Amino acid sequence: MNKPAVETKPNIEVCDGNKAVAHAVRLSRPDVVAVYPITPQSAVGEWLSRWNDEGTLNAEVVRVEGENSSMGVCCSASLTGGRVFTGTSSWGLLFMMDGLHYAAGYRIPVVMTNANRETPGIFTIGNSSQDMWSVRDAGWIQVNVEDNQEILDAVIMAYRIAEDTDILLPMMVCYDGFYLSYRKDPLEIPAQDDVDAFLAPLKQSKRNIVTPDDPMVFGIPSFFPKDQGEGCTEFRYKHSAALERVKDKIDTVDKDFEAIFGRSYAGQIEAYRTDDADIVLVATGSVCGTAKVVVDKMRDDGVKVGLIKVRLLRPFPKEKIAKVLEGKKGIGVIDRSVCFGYHCGHLYMELKSALALEGLPTTLPTLNFIGGLANLDITVEQVETTINLTLAASKGETVEEVTWLSLEE
Amino acid sequence: MGKGYPTIAFYPEKCNGCNDCVEACAQIKTETSEPVHSRISVAKDPDDEFYGLSLCRQCGDPRCVMDCPARALTKNEDTGVVHWDETKCVNCQICTLACPYAGITYNRITDQVMKCDLCNGDPACVKACAPMALEYKIGAEIYNTWGDLEDLFVPGVGACLGCNSELIMRHTLRRIGPNTVVATPPGCIPGVGSVGVNGITSTKTPVFHPLLTNTASMLAGVKRYYNRIGRDVTMLALAGDGGAADVGFQSLSGAAERGEQMIFVCVDNEGYMNTGVQRSSTTPYGAWTTTTPVGEALQGKTRDAKPLPLLMVLHSCEYVATAALPFMEDFYMKLDKAIEASKRGMAFIHIFSPCPTGWRFDPSQLIEVARKGVETNMVPLWEYENDLGRINITHVVNEPLPVVTYLKSIGKYRHLSDEQLVYIQRKTDERFELLKKFTKESKLEGLSDAA
Repeated sequence: MNKPAVETKPNIEVCDGNKAVAHAVRLSRPDVVAVYPITPQSAVGEWLSRWNDEGTLNAEVVRVEGENSSMGVCCSASLTGGRVFTGTSSWGLLFMMDGLHYAAGYRIPVVMTNANRETPGIFTIGNSSQDMWSVRDAGWIQVNVEDNQEILDAVIMAYRIAEDTDILLPMMVCYDGFYLSYRKDPLEIPAQDDVDAFLAPLKQSKRNIVTPDDPMVFGIPSFFPKDQGEGCTEFRYKHSAALERVKDKIDTVDKDFEAIFGRSYAGQIEAYRTDDADIVLVATGSVCGTAKVVVDKMRDDGVKVGLIKVRLLRPFPKEKIAKVLEGKKGIGVIDRSVCFGYHCGHLYMELKSALALEGLPTTLPTLNFIGGLANLDITVEQVETTINLTLAASKGETVEEVTWLSLEE
Repeated sequence: MGKGYPTIAFYPEKCNGCNDCVEACAQIKTETSEPVHSRISVAKDPDDEFYGLSLCRQCGDPRCVMDCPARALTKNEDTGVVHWDETKCVNCQICTLACPYAGITYNRITDQVMKCDLCNGDPACVKACAPMALEYKIGAEIYNTWGDLEDLFVPGVGACLGCNSELIMRHTLRRIGPNTVVATPPGCIPGVGSVGVNGITSTKTPVFHPLLTNTASMLAGVKRYYNRIGRDVTMLALAGDGGAADVGFQSLSGAAERGEQMIFVCVDNEGYMNTGVQRSSTTPYGAWTTTTPVGEALQGKTRDAKPLPLLMVLHSCEYVATAALPFMEDFYMKLDKAIEASKRGMAFIHIFSPCPTGWRFDPSQLIEVARKGVETNMVPLWEYENDLGRINITHVVNEPLPVVTYLKSIGKYRHLSDEQLVYIQRKTDERFELLKKFTKESKLEGLSDAA
């Protein structure tokens, strides 16, 4: 077999988001990779298969017959001690729903990417955040990123977080399908040595694994409250507590990453021009790029507006967000998905909940804007609208709480 | 562990009660043909279907030897014969009460006990039996070959009375050994206790509880990791028919097609027994389950069972076999081959697994029910080896019993009408004919490409 080509220094390469994922996975040296195609992330598996064939990815690549099996392969290979990866999107993400709960419940550090896409029912091959939010209660760590360089960096960081013995939880790096998966940018591909050094601390981590050397059962039944019910409660509590620890961990890992690679994403959230802002937009994903441009433009026009880019979705960084929003006069939340049953967007519901839990005044004007469903662009003009309406609300004007952008009635 | 010896096997369905064996025994022991001197006898109550046998079983752990106060009875470690020493016997006859088989009896003429000594390895009764209801053979070769293997499963289990899954679990693990990772998806096998009891593991191998939907891919993930680090570990899935033929079929099919290296055992109890007897795709036609009730419109299941093992043959698995536990030697032979085949790809074993609880029959009849399933040809025992490219029937039933003899022994078929019985007989014959087409000349090479 060919020796893997080891980059000794960073390299600039024009990549789309899918290739960014593949580079990050290759550099993280996984043992077992499961691939299955689904638009818009199929190229991830194509690159990994090709590099595996060429010898630059020295892993077992399993070309499974469906996403439920890709999650199965990853869970068990990780449970056996391996580093694993799979990628999916939308229908595929939902088809591995039992596997998602399995991975989280067993505290298996699977690293996965999801190219955000609309979910089945209304057949669309387009972006939204509907899939990503639909699985937010599976117990995973979820981050959502803004651009292709961040995809690459976030996947490498995901291994450091997921496999950390303080955490031991599966982690999903979400990126906007279509917008990022197919957009090409010049990316800095890190040097292999640097990635090896960054991931080196994980070599110390020990976890219970499936091995004949130390036979163990994975899957204690929890039928009888007296014997196992308390065990289940204990496991659930520990799982939830581990998720809480992710908040600090992601900030620390971000700093470690910056020390080696010179790039930082500010951990849980990125607060963009919020310090002196009166009103703040809250968004996640690729729309944050557009939002930053509009914030800059409105700032030039004298509007004191800022942006919170929410990177960490699970656990939800409510403390950090509330700290930034304290004393602000108005908030506008941009959503790319619909939280059914609340008739608003998911991020909005999460944010309202966070504000209440963190004791911010319930009178704080807070608006929600739903747009960008099924690949509709969230345009500069639409973001301007969100700012203008939030500004109006902050000044006491009556504004509809939830605005569906691009809705033709 | 011990040793298996030659002994006299009895086939009740072949016995016609002619008593030639009795005369032959008396003749060789006393040179008279007086039945009173015979060490063997056959008898039948008017209500019984078959004759019963009274004869010494030359037990491995004989009660007569244990209970003899004079040490007149001993087990010969070389021949296996339980030997009666006339010179030590005090004629207390306790042995005749201790023996559960009427294998040692009191002879009122000689005023002594008497018992079979296997005629020094050439029993007269066997030679005299024209219908060949008696056979002198080693009944426990398997015991001699595998008896010393360690039982890797916990002694106490949570199985129903007469559960076949426990037998499967013990024997499969025993043969495959401790260098194995076991996957037991939701179903009876975890219910029996494979995934532990009260937080403690029940097996001496690592065992995990995969999803019902993706057992084969989860096991593949373990194997792939071991391949990656260059370690040889055997993979064993013990899944029910739901986890193999129904919701688990996609991952099984995918893993088989990819040639994932594992032994996948389907414990086919013909339905969802662990959830309370619901139908599955392997539930046979006519069978009662809670979701194929017997009532006004329905008379049990209306569709035939999915022929899963044949489907696995068509996946070009390295090895495919059917098994039933009354034929334990056959099963162990197949496990042997499966272990080897699983180093190259998938080995699939489909075990016919009658369930006293879900099928409604007496737990004591487990082995007999399974045996009738095989001997009616409803469950043919065969194997497929990829390199030979054909199916080989490993237990040929020369004169198959009518399916009704099997069906009437099971409660879930109690309601069957004559039409349904005729249908099942016809389908059984058709299926067996189809199976035969895959044997001998019919090479399967290239079959998957032809589709």
